[in-house]
Parts: sequence; C-alpha cells; structure tokens
Amino acid sequence: MEQPRSFQVWAAIAACAQREGTAVSPRHAVITCADALAAAGAGLSVARDGVPREPVLASTPLAEELEELQFTLGQGPGMDTVAGRGPVLVADLTIPDARHRWPLFAPAAAERGVRGMFAFPVAAGAVLIGVLNVYRLPAGSLAPRELLDGLVFADAALVLALDERGGIASGPDGLADAAVSARGAQVHQATGMVAAQLGVSMPDALAALRAHAYVTGQRLSDLVANVLARRVRLDRVNSSPEPGRQPSAPRAERGEEE
Amino acid sequence: MTTADRRVRDAFIELTDTLVTDFDVIDFLERLANRCTELLGVSACGILLADHHGVLNLVGASAEQARLLGLAQLQNAEGPCLDAYHTGRAVQRADLNDGDPRWPSFTAAARAHGFASVQALPMRLREQRLGAVNLFSTEPGPLDADTVALGQALADAATIGIVHQRALARSEVLAEQLQGALNSRIVIEQAKGFLAERLSVTVDDGFSIMRRYARSHHRKLTDVATDITAGRLDLARPPASRETPPVP
Repeated sequence: MEQPRSFQVWAAIAACAQREGTAVSPRHAVITCADALAAAGAGLSVARDGVPREPVLASTPLAEELEELQFTLGQGPGMDTVAGRGPVLVADLTIPDARHRWPLFAPAAAERGVRGMFAFPVAAGAVLIGVLNVYRLPAGSLAPRELLDGLVFADAALVLALDERGGIASGPDGLADAAVSARGAQVHQATGMVAAQLGVSMPDALAALRAHAYVTGQRLSDLVANVLARRVRLDRVNSSPEPGRQPSAPRAERGEEE
Repeated sequence: MTTADRRVRDAFIELTDTLVTDFDVIDFLERLANRCTELLGVSACGILLADHHGVLNLVGASAEQARLLGLAQLQNAEGPCLDAYHTGRAVQRADLNDGDPRWPSFTAAARAHGFASVQALPMRLREQRLGAVNLFSTEPGPLDADTVALGQALADAATIGIVHQRALARSEVLAEQLQGALNSRIVIEQAKGFLAERLSVTVDDGFSIMRRYARSHHRKLTDVATDITAGRLDLARPPASRETPPVP
C-alpha cells in the first residue's frame, strides 16, 4: 500500500503516453485514471485563485458533457471540491442527499446515466490547480484501493500540470520526487518562502521550485533544504551556488533538456 | 478528586468544547499535543496521520515543531509510530540507550535530540488505522499503565477530532475528513514559510505569529493560513510580533 502504488500509477500514465508517442501530460493522467477506476470517463477542470474556471480535459464525450454541465449550472461535486479542502465522493447521485445538495446537477447527471461521481482536488494545500472528476455509470462506493488510486492520480495530475506550467518535462526520473503531498512539510514551507520571494501565487511558487531543481539538476528535496536554510533564494538565482549555470527566470519556457 | 484528576477533567472539557463549536482541526491537534505533554508527564508529543501514499505526516505537535518533524519523517522507514500504525498496538521503548537493535536511525536521532524514552499509541477508527501519537521523554523509564490508558484516551480524542462527523453514515466521509485534515496542515506549512520569508523569522516563529493572530481575532487557524497564502491577509508588521508567544 505504500510507495509501489504511486509507482504503479506513474508507470500506467507513462505507458499511456508512450502508446500515443507523446510526452507525458495531465491528459494521460485523466485517461489512465478513468480506466483504473472503471469509470465511464474522467475530466479535469482548472481553478485559479481558489475558484473553478473552466473544464480543460475529458477522456470521453460523456465526461466532457458533465464537466461543461457543472460549469453551466454552477454546481456539482467538483465545484464543492474546490470550495472545500478535500475530495467529494458521491456513491449515488440519485439519493435524496445528493439531490438536495446539487438540485440541478444531480438529476441531470443521473439522466445521462451517471450515478457515481468522485471529485478529487488536484492540489497540495494552497497549491490548488483544479479538480479531477471521475464519472461512473453504476451507483456504488469506490473500493478502498480505487479510492487510494484516485488520490494518487490527482497527485500525478498536479505534478504534471505544475511541470507543464514550469515548462519542464516530468520524465520518469522525476518520479521519486513526484508525490508532492508525500514530500513532507519542508516542500510546503519552501513553497511559501518562494511565493514571498518572487511575489507569485503558491502554484507558481511550487512550479518555480520544481523548474529550478530541474534546470540546475538537483533533487527537489536538496533544493528545498537549501531554500529553508536560506542558502538559496529563487529571486537571486544568478548568485546561487549550485552548478548548472542557466540562470533561469524560473518560469521561462523551456524545452526538454535531457 | 485529586489535582491530577482535575487537570484531566479540565483537559477533556476543553477538548470537548473545542469539538462542539465550529473548530479548526489543526488548532485542535496542537492543543491536544500540548495537553498530552502536560497530563502524561512527557517532554514532547507529535500526532502523525497516514496519507494515501501510506506516508506518516506530522499534523500536530507540542512545542518545537522542527525537532519533532525530523523524527516524524524518519519513522516512515522505521520507528515506534510506524510499528504502532501497522500493528494497531501501543509501542513502548523505556530506554533508548538499552542497546535494543530496533530502529537504529530513529534511535540515534531521538537520542541526539536529548530524548531517553519513547512511546507510540495507535490512532484507530473501528477497523481502520489512521496514524499514531508519539510521546517523547528526556528521562528513561516506562510509562505506567494508567498513564498509557490516559494517553490512549487522548489519542482517541485526536481521532474523533479529525473525523469530526458525529455519524459516519457514508463510508466516504472518513476519506473526505482525513484528506481535509492533511490538506489543512499543508496550507499551514505554506503560510508558515511565507511568513518566515516575509518577516525574516524562523518557520516555527512564523507559526507562532499566525496562531497568535488567529486566536486574538477569533478565527480558525486554517482560515488565517488560507488568507495568507492567497495574499488576502498581510501579517507583515503585526504590532506585537516580537514577543514570545504564549504557550497554549
């Protein structure tokens, strides 16, 4: 139940990208997640400043329709995930509780044959990128293993989205550092420090940290230790002591460098 | 009723009061960790919660977060909390200098921090194992059975605080609450780092400043942290940020 689960999830995502012959991206996390959770589809919506903004990805037309529907109606488990701080897991959208909570969305989803819906925040604290929504036709809870997998897929989507934003490739090499939420408190503390240094949002700060580790060829955990010890500041990357002389504007666009 | 009994009673009344009102889970766990050190006569207490990667995260601690954080993270490889979490049983090591070969890295680190004995109490909810409460003492020696029983009661209170729905009618609620508690902790860590940089203080001081602000303004710690991370609240120059924060 520990690390191997994350690695299996990552391996499945990487295999999906390889079949398509493209670089691994958040889309592969969405597609693979739908498969792993025996879903009729999955979708990714992005949030900015803590507010859901727009659906961006869907693995099937049905998922796309339901993603759009949540935004059109302004309600649904995915919307509540962004407003709250954890996943919103709905085993059956047709029960009174669900109809009461989402009076427009729940019946509309049920009409389209979707009875189970599971919304996972694509987030680590204030680093909130969006929501991963999983749609299933039959009613029923996720099995414990499916639930854990869903959470890990959401983490994977977070890392992929951050690295896309940072303009770097999340190759298999980065996998050891990939599980953001499992990296302990230091990464989150360093993210806060970098946000203050650069005057950027928390998602941009974590994207900048990951990109800086990548372009300077360090492990994220080593960079984090240096930031916390105030040996490295990201607003003065030119004077930072590590090797890799590429003084990056940390969010500059960058191709794959491997 | 003895003085000790009264203190235990008062602690549970305080914790129960916290639970009844609209409370902040991290603030609750911090209070609980501090009460544990007082009531159980130990030097430090950490509350560790497992996430979906099976990784134990420090979600609440008595004083000296930084010291406990390192010891908490080590226990993802070895240590009493890992054992208590996996077995669902209390784990005790009365003397860290006893030559017992268990947990060599953890033992060395705990000793380097000046601890002489350690205890881990499981956090469980029915069949599910959630984490463990970690107790450290600078003196060697076992905790007596009454103290362990009281410690387990406090560990159970921590579990109830995290899973604060009265009726877990839906099996999904537990997962939602657990993730909520873990995520609250992350927001707080991010806000601590932000304040540390902004105010040129240590990360631990950043936390104290944030907590004092939350208490004096009667706001939830997590809400204050969220506002800080979103740039909606600037504690850049708090009027009283220089003084040592009061121990709760």
